[in-house]
Order: sequence, then C-alpha cells, then structure tokens
Amino acid sequence: MADIGRRSFVKGASLGALAFTVGGAEVVMAAGEARARGVPFRLLDAHQGETLEALGETLVPTAREAGIAHFIDQQLSVPPHESLLQARIFNFRPPFAEFYRTAITAVDAASQKLYARDFAQLTPTEQREFVDRMRQNKIEGWTGRPGALVYAVLRADAVDVVYGTMEGYEALGIPYMPHIPPEKRW
Amino acid sequence: MTNEKVDVVIVGAGASGSVYASVLAKAGKKVVLLESGPDWELTDLISSEIWGRRIKPAGAPILLDGKNPMTYSAQGGWGVGGAALHYFANFPRLLPTDFRIRSEHNRAHDWPISYADVAPFYDKVAREIGVSGDARAEEKWRPAGEAYPMPPMKTFKNGDIWLKGFEASGIPMVPAPVGMNSVEFKGRPACLYDGWCHVGCPIGALANPQVTYLGDARKAGAEVRAWSTVTRVLTNPAGTKVTGVEYYDDKHQKQIQEASVVVLAAWSAQNPRLLLNSATDKHTKGLGNASGMVGHYMMSHHVASTWAMFDEDTQNHMGTIAVQYMSYERYPKTSHAGAFGSSFITAGFAMKTTDLANSRADLFGPELADYMKRAARRLAGIKAFGEEQPNLENRVELISEKDEFGMPLGKLTHSYDQDAVALWNANFEEGLKVAKAAGAKEAWSGRGSMPTSHLMGGTIMGTSAADSVVNSFGQSHEIPNLWVAGPSIFATAGASNPTFTIFALSQRGAERMASQWGTLTN
Repeated sequence: MADIGRRSFVKGASLGALAFTVGGAEVVMAAGEARARGVPFRLLDAHQGETLEALGETLVPTAREAGIAHFIDQQLSVPPHESLLQARIFNFRPPFAEFYRTAITAVDAASQKLYARDFAQLTPTEQREFVDRMRQNKIEGWTGRPGALVYAVLRADAVDVVYGTMEGYEALGIPYMPHIPPEKRW
Repeated sequence: MTNEKVDVVIVGAGASGSVYASVLAKAGKKVVLLESGPDWELTDLISSEIWGRRIKPAGAPILLDGKNPMTYSAQGGWGVGGAALHYFANFPRLLPTDFRIRSEHNRAHDWPISYADVAPFYDKVAREIGVSGDARAEEKWRPAGEAYPMPPMKTFKNGDIWLKGFEASGIPMVPAPVGMNSVEFKGRPACLYDGWCHVGCPIGALANPQVTYLGDARKAGAEVRAWSTVTRVLTNPAGTKVTGVEYYDDKHQKQIQEASVVVLAAWSAQNPRLLLNSATDKHTKGLGNASGMVGHYMMSHHVASTWAMFDEDTQNHMGTIAVQYMSYERYPKTSHAGAFGSSFITAGFAMKTTDLANSRADLFGPELADYMKRAARRLAGIKAFGEEQPNLENRVELISEKDEFGMPLGKLTHSYDQDAVALWNANFEEGLKVAKAAGAKEAWSGRGSMPTSHLMGGTIMGTSAADSVVNSFGQSHEIPNLWVAGPSIFATAGASNPTFTIFALSQRGAERMASQWGTLTN
C-alpha cells in the first residue's frame, strides 16, 4: 500500500477515533467527545452544524450527543478515498460536501416555506412532521436532490454514530465480537 | 516511463485477476497485476461497519442512469482483493439450464459452453481454496460432482427458525455452500461465526484472494502494483495484437507496461470502459468491439428480502454474512406463473446494527429506537435472488466528463424488464407465506427501490464476434492476446451468487491460456 493511505488508515483505525483539530493541533477522539469539547468544525459553519444535529436527532435519537455533525464535518475534510461516510456507498461523486450543503439549503428553504423558520428552529413535533414528508417526497416546491434521498443518507449517518459504535451495540445488548477491535470503543 | 516487458499484465487484483495471476505465475510466466486502489493486508480489516467502508469503491465513480440504477457501491471493491476482500462467499453454482436458456425457452441466448464444461472447475476451485457444504444434498437439483472438502458450517437460530416454514411451503432447504472454513483448511483456521465477513475476514477463515490465489501468485513471483490506474490498452500499429497497457502510478506519473498478453479483470463496469477508451484507427469503436457489443448486456440480480420478528431469540448476531441454508427449488425458469427466470432462495445470516436499521428504512425517531431494541434479538430474514434477462439497452458507455487521469467517465444505464419485476413480486409473495408458516410474529417485504445485486455482463462470451466480445475462455474474438475475466464475460446471469462461477471460469480461462501460450505470443 502506498504510504499515505496506509499511514492514515492505521492511525485512525487503531486508535478507533477520528482526528480533530484543537488549538491548531490534531487530536484523536470520538465524534461525541469532539462535540462535548466544543471542537470547531473544519468545513461546516455553525448553522450547517446546528441543522445537521437537528436533522440527525430527529432521525435517530441521541445522534446530536453522539456527534453526528462533527462526524460528518471531520469526514468531509479527508480525501474521498479515505472517507467513511455513507455518501460513498450511495455512489455520490466527490466532493461529498456538496451533497450536505445543498441538502441543508433545500431543507431550510422548504422549512421556511412551510413554517417560516429554519429547520433547526422548529419544535420537535414540527421537525418530525417535516422529516416524515421529506421521506416520502411530499414537500411541494422541494429543490435539489430528492427528499427521500436526503432522508436515507442522513438517517444512515445518524445510525452510524448512534448504533455503529461499540457503545451502540452495547446499548442494544448485542455482543460486538470483533476480530480486530477498534480501540476507544468506536 | 516504459517498464520491462512481462509475459502477462493483469488489470485488477480481485477475484478473477488473482486466479489468472496464480495459474500463470505457477506456470512460470512473469506476471504483473495493476490495481487502482491500496494494497490491503489482513491486519487492515477492522471489525467495524464504519471502518469497513475503506475497502468499498473509491476513485472515479461510474455514473448511474436508467429506471433501476445499478447501486453497486456496497458490493464493489477498492484495492487489492477487490470485492472479494469483503464478499459474502456464498458459493452456489449456475445450473445446466442457465447455459441453454435460448435452446430451452427461446429467450436471451445460450452460453457457448455447457454446465459440464464448467463443473470440473467448480470442483477444482473447491479443492483449491476450500468450500464448506453438502454437495450430495445439492445433487437433487444438479449433476453429481465431487464432495466439498469441508463439512457444512454451523447453523444458528436465525437460519433454523425458517425451516418449518419452508417445509410447509414445499421448498427443501439444504446447507449452503460457502467459501469459508467450517474446519481448519490448508493451515487457515476455522470460522469464529462473529459475522464480520463483510468488512473483511482478518483471520483467513474466509477465502479472500489475499489468503488464496493472490497469496499463491505472490509466492510464485507475481508482482502486485497498487495505486496503479490503467487508462488504455495499447496495440501494435496494425491493430492485430495488444502490446501492453498505459497506467498512472501512485505519484500520478504515466507509465507503460508492455506485455505479451493483457488480461482485463477490472470488474464488469470497468472492463468495457477500458476497451471503449482504447479505440484506435484500426479499432475505431474500441478494442474487441467490431460488433458494437462492448458495454452491452449489463445484468444484475434482484433480491426479495422478507423480514420477520419471532418470539424466540433468533441469535441474529451469530453466524456469518454468508447464508446457512439454500434451495434451488424455484430455480427452473418457469417456476412462478406469469414471471420468467430463476430464483435462488436463501435463509439465515448474521446481522449488524446497519442491517437492523435497514430492515425498516421507513422508521425514524423514537419508533426506530424502539424497533432497534426489539429487532436486536428477534429479527431474522430470508432472501430470494432473482434472475434478470440480458437486455441490450442495459449498458456502459463513455461520457464527455473525465476523471483525474483524463479518462472519460463511464455511465451505466440499467432498467429491469417486466419479467424481472414480476419475479421479484412473486418471490415476495412466497416469502411472506414462508414467514407465516414459520410462525413469525410479524413479517414484511423489504421493498423500496428494486435492488441490484451482483454486476455482470458488458463483455459477454459467445461463439463469434457477431454476437459477443469474447469466447468461452475470455479471449477476445478479434485480438487473440487480449483476454477478459470476471463476471463481465457471463452470457446470462442465472440467479446464483456469481463469485464461485467467476473463480471457475477464471481457472478454466487461465489454464487454457497457459496451454495455448505459444499461439498467443507468436
């Protein structure tokens, strides 16, 4: 394997967490920890981060605390061939950031039309109603990638951060049984 | 830069390329494999679905089009080992009817070979890399062959729980053949049944190329060059022979690798893309494409997944990603009234949290959280793989947009026909009946977008250049030292998971190449 690919893979995988930038230095930690420590986003702005957290929490409870926005942000900052995002499985053409930016814009535009507020400002009940309509492509005037696709990708990301970790398995009572365990319970 | 000429350059270090490399290196040929992704090692295979995405496709995407876009990314590979680094290792074989669908049903086309031509190579592959199963039990549906070298794998409740339902539905189920070790085999350990096969088996219990053909090839002197992206196959001025390939190395420097023989083993979408991009004044439509067939007849399997919740603990975290039970009972092409094509029925497989969540893709929020808790120990599934008939309009073609190396991107257009949709629906209906008879507390069909599993076709085999791209060995009809390997040479899809057949056809093709070497290099 070429050095750059192998080095970065082993570094991330063996430590079992992601590299975040804190005070100009790279620190390896889980996405939830990065959120709890207030690590600045690399690519997302505050509103985008807030919206991804609101969408993630609506889709999968506890996704906000698990660091969905930090997970996505960190993964958007690595080369596409190193990305762990579901966008890769959905065959999106890099850069993957484009999907998230346009999805957030579409969600807010539709939310403004329906409720005169951005999605992150809606009540939990309104957010649920919105996501249910988005899931079924039932929002009139929706622009960009289909709402059902936005639902599927963001739901998959949220499932990753909440249920794809060793903590997620433990919470469901499922033995993780790794051959090669990720450290720090990722 | 031009490298020293070798005997064989193989494009792609996945399932088929590894077989060719092993056979030819052992035959004393100087072999180089060029692989566009990283050179994965077993220690890279972390037990995590999230980290497992590292070994899924990257690089230039194949753009998708059609009514049923071919969602290949979860199945495709990236790097040495290809998709076979993380495949499920289900090893059913095609059946005799698959090779003569035209003769028997006046549909699609016959293969230029019969089951009897391939059967010895199924047996040979099983001996070579290890298959667990019960061949005698399968022989109620297929001609007799050799016994598998290992007994069947262990079964778990998530498979056993379905047997009552299948029996009530008149569908005999037998142990599924898999490319995994039920016992130690050739120094490789037995499976641990922890269900992490799909992110790569780091202990070597699953027959991935690294621990089988590719390992043998390397021992015999084959060289693997990772991060080497081939963009063109090169020919002599007369266009009568290929002379090697052009590729870009890990530093994005252009390189030429000259070779006496070129084998394209880069998977069903990339093989046509390479042939089409290698057009010359002597081959204006692309290499091996005088008939215009390159890129056409792309095929897939549709999958009807039936999910069910049971009162009992289904142990759904235990087992392998490969299935525990299988049946060819609905394999005859006219098994379902109003639908045409084979179905291959399977039951019992380990699940991870992503599988649980995907089994009810409509749920979100508190309802999803509640469902995940219930599904964690109560969910089980069965799957019926269905055959798609080859359709000329399902194709790969080049578009004007280019990748980072200046090579045109490929666009893959795919739509299912009415037969496929009817068969998919029939399999769903039968699945629900089986679930009910099995005593499921609740059962549902995993509908949504019609799935596309296993990409095949694009450089199909046949008897002449008029109706196909290669002969039954994978040799180009038009350029004798140009060969193609892998599922792209399948003439029809059948309904069986393809990798056992990929291995068998590659073994057959590679042995033919070695035996006919003098005719290729003169």
